[in-house]
Formats: sequence, C-alpha cells, structure tokens
Amino acid sequence: MRNTFIQTLLENAKKDPNIIFVTGDLGFGVIEDFQKQLPNQFINAGVSEQSMMGMAAGIASTGKRVFVYSIGNFPTLRCLEQIRNDVCLMNNSVVIVSVGAGYSYGSQGYTHHALEDIAVMRALPNMNIYIPADAVESKSLTNYLCKDKNPSYLRLGKSGEPTLSNNSRGVIDNKIIDIKNGDDGTILFVGPIGKRALLAAEILHKMNIGVSVASVPFATEIDLDYLRFAAAKGPIITLEEHSKRGGFGSIILESLHQLDVTYKLKIIASTQQNLSEIGSQDYLQIKNSLDEKSIVDAFNSIR
Amino acid sequence: MSIGKQGIDTVAKSAATLAKSARIEILNMTSLAKASHVASSLSVIDLLAVLYSGIANVTPDNHEKADRDIVILSKGHAAAAIYSVLALKKFFDSSWLNNYCGDGAQLGGHVTSTGVPGVELSTGSLGHGLPYGLGIAISRKLTKSPGNIFIIMSDGECDEGTTWESALIANHYNLNNLCVIIDRNRIQSLDYTESTIALEPFIDKWRSFGWDVIEVDGHNYLSLAESMSEKSSKPKCIIANTVKGKGVDFMENTVLWHYKSPNDEELSSAISQVEKN
Repeated sequence: MRNTFIQTLLENAKKDPNIIFVTGDLGFGVIEDFQKQLPNQFINAGVSEQSMMGMAAGIASTGKRVFVYSIGNFPTLRCLEQIRNDVCLMNNSVVIVSVGAGYSYGSQGYTHHALEDIAVMRALPNMNIYIPADAVESKSLTNYLCKDKNPSYLRLGKSGEPTLSNNSRGVIDNKIIDIKNGDDGTILFVGPIGKRALLAAEILHKMNIGVSVASVPFATEIDLDYLRFAAAKGPIITLEEHSKRGGFGSIILESLHQLDVTYKLKIIASTQQNLSEIGSQDYLQIKNSLDEKSIVDAFNSIR
Repeated sequence: MSIGKQGIDTVAKSAATLAKSARIEILNMTSLAKASHVASSLSVIDLLAVLYSGIANVTPDNHEKADRDIVILSKGHAAAAIYSVLALKKFFDSSWLNNYCGDGAQLGGHVTSTGVPGVELSTGSLGHGLPYGLGIAISRKLTKSPGNIFIIMSDGECDEGTTWESALIANHYNLNNLCVIIDRNRIQSLDYTESTIALEPFIDKWRSFGWDVIEVDGHNYLSLAESMSEKSSKPKCIIANTVKGKGVDFMENTVLWHYKSPNDEELSSAISQVEKN
C-alpha cells in the first residue's frame, strides 16, 4: 500500500512539476526512487513536524500540490495547529500522508500506534479524509489526490496488506464500495482491517447469513443513499482500527442520525483498554476485539 | 535588493511619515475597540513602515502577482500595526479601521488574511510565520523565482520551537531570499524576556545557526532600511532593538500596556505626544 502510493505519486509527479513531496525524515527504502528521479520536487524537512507542516502550507501557497509524508501520529497530532491554521484555515493544497494506521507498528509501542487520527482530523474545517483498504484503492485515491486541490488526509497502512478484491475500484465522489454483497446486513469498514470483515462474512455465510462488506475510502461525507438502503436491509456493523471515540463508527452514527430511519448498529473499534500492550498488528487487533469473531458476535447480538 | 544611498534616504523619509500616521491610527483603533496589544503595535510599527515604504516590493497593484515580495507579520497580535499600514498604503479602504474588532468587522484583533488584501497569512498563534515563509522561500528557490520573503517576529515568539527548527532548515537549504526581522522589545506576556526565558546571547544563537545577523536600532529608519536592503548570501536575521509602546511615554517599556487599551484621556495625551515627535 505504501509502495503503491509512492510509485503512483512518482508517476504523477513526473508529469506535473507542481507536485512536491516533503518528508519528515522518514520513508527509508521507499522514497529513494522519488528523491533520485525528481530532486527538485523532493524536500526532507528533517525531524521537525511543526515546521514541516507550516512549510508545506507555504509551498502550497505558491501554487504547488504538496504531499507531506511521515508515519503514525507525527504528521497529524504532532503538528495539529499547523494543520488547523496554515493548511485548513488558509485552504492550502496540502495532502497529509500518514503511514502506519492503527496497529501497523504494533510492536513499537503506543507512541507508534495511530488510533486517534481520524477523530482529530475530521474535526478540522476544509479537511477531507481518505482511507484506502488496499493497494487498489491506494492507487486510485493517489491518482485522484494528485489532481485535487483541497486539504486532505490520506491514512495508509504499511505494507503487505492483502488486496481485498481485484475489481477495478475507481474511487468516485463519496461512494461506498461494495467488496461483497449480501441481503441480511452490512459491514462497513475503513482501511486494511477490511480483511477481517471478509472473514466474518464467510463465517456468517456458513450460518446462512449473507452480509454486504463495503469499504468507505472517503470518510468525510458518507453516501446517505447507501446508508438508507443498508439500514433498511438489516444490522450494520462498522469496523475500524482506531479509537471508538470520534472515529469511523461515530461518523456512521452521525450520518444515520441525519436520516429519518430506524437502524441497528454496532461499532467495532479499539477501546484502548491497555495502552502499553505490545505485539504484532494481528495480535493487537485480536486483543482489542477487532477480529472476525468479535464482528460475528456483534452482528448476531443485534440481528 | 540594493537601492543605493539615495534610495535609502527616500525610504527612510517616507517611512517616518507613514509611521507617524500609523501610530495615530493604532491608538485610535485600540482605544475605540478597547483592544489589547497597543504597545506591541507601537514597537513594531517602524519596521513595517520601512518595509512598506519601498523595501518590500508589494503594493495594492501587485499583491496577487507571483513575483511580489512576501511580508508576513508572524506576531499576529500586532494586527492594528499592519492593518493601519495597509490602509494608509491603500490596500483597502481606511474606513475598515474604524470597526476594528467590531461585530462583523473585516479586521480582528489578530491578523486574518481572508478578505483582507495584502495579508499573506492569518497569524495569532506564535511560531507559524517563519515555517510558512520558509516554505515560500524554498518553493521560489526550487523554481528559481525572484522575490524576497520578510517575516516579522516578536522576541518572545522565539521561545517557540518552530523558530529554531526553521532556523536550521533555512540554513540547510541556503535560503538567502528569506529575511527574519525580530521586534526585540524585550517584553513578553508576563515579564521581560530575560526574566521569562532568557534569549541572550541572542545574536550568537542566530549566528551559530548559520544566519547573517544584523543588529539595528528598530526606530531608526535609515538603519532599518539599510539592513533590510543589504544583500546576503545566507538567510538573514535583523534584530531590531525596539521599545515596547514607543512614542507614548506612559506606555513605553511596561508589561501593562501589552493588555490595556487607552481611555479617552490617555488617547488624547498619546496622540499629542506622537504628533509632536
């Protein structure tokens, strides 16, 4: 997913000299190609996220499309006010790219877990949030963001995430993308954790329950028509590798609230019970009840 | 830029006139609006007056052109200062000043760029102007575009970490199109800078970061114009020694006037002092 992003960005940047890549001294083994091929569109700002973000906004103010790249919480929480004032308030054309969503850096400890970023970024004005589920969506979103001008946040996993579906998935407007169809309910997810939604759907299928599994790569404004249909169909589960407080589940809940419909909803997200828990991404997903068994149990509890 | 001795004399003369009118506007604005930061505005006004009297290539006609010089007032609480200068230089109608900080006003107590011609960046949270200006400077270097970037900061603002991050970055990328001007009035929010978080030896700090440093009297129009127009092969830092509240004796060098706004009696006394100078 990370490599797909960089390669897609490089292809676009070769054609468009106004695309500038700024890194906060991260991306070893990933960004060298870009640096070598387009040295005049590449800046390493060093380990200084606040200045990096202000600088990115300043570069954007000269008519550039600036991609700011770092990992985890560094390009979001560490420089939040620079994003708020210099990017969002000034409406500068900056794309914040954070690698290592959720528990991607699980074994590196809580400082490296990105679990509050969606909640924080969605509170900002003029900010659009994009969360690809796999390399296919990562590519189409990156292509889109190279042409777009708005302040944006691209939340990436790390590497090696499975491709959830090989179907070409152009990310259009605010559409929710069905990966699998079913008549009895819906699992909505953001990011690579969608693989667990698909596993849950298989388990449910064995119980003769058919659920749709859908990716929501554009998490800023939700497709309300899709949501109305899903609410009428059956239970809705939301799944994210993020804190329960103010994350994707909250976005869906708020969106449902806008609709005059009855619905059954369960939010599956991290409750952040044990902040010091160390382990692989898989281990921490299970520890935080983000696994397929938890999804199935949640679904059955409101069926 | 290099404008020669005659050019510098002309700039200094215009700046003196501009600063005098701007001081009166600042006093009127902060009094009418019962707004804070009159003393911060009076300390920085001479720097702004010189910049806008022929040093910075930015006018009501070219302020949206790509090759203009950039001026960012990073100490956004001195809004009354930049607004009065921009109004006097006819970037917008001077009637806007009368409703400073009022309901529905175009001009608020901290610098806002939206809808205000000539303002490059909304500021008010300290430590934002330099990184932003640095970005513009880098972008112009990458595209070999002309134009200087002037960032006016307060001395207290140098407590912010972004100042020193950016000082490193500007040196690394050799941004000699970037000029920081520090309003060194030695007073910050609660106390003198040296009693709060000591900045001295201030010049040495900037110099050790690889910047060209010039120390000047921040109320001497000739010295300011000379230092601002001097060419440099490095990023430049002008430490302008100023007096907080300059021009009004009872406001000078006191913490109180960081906050207080002049009442009617204080206003008329202040204006008569400025007019006599």
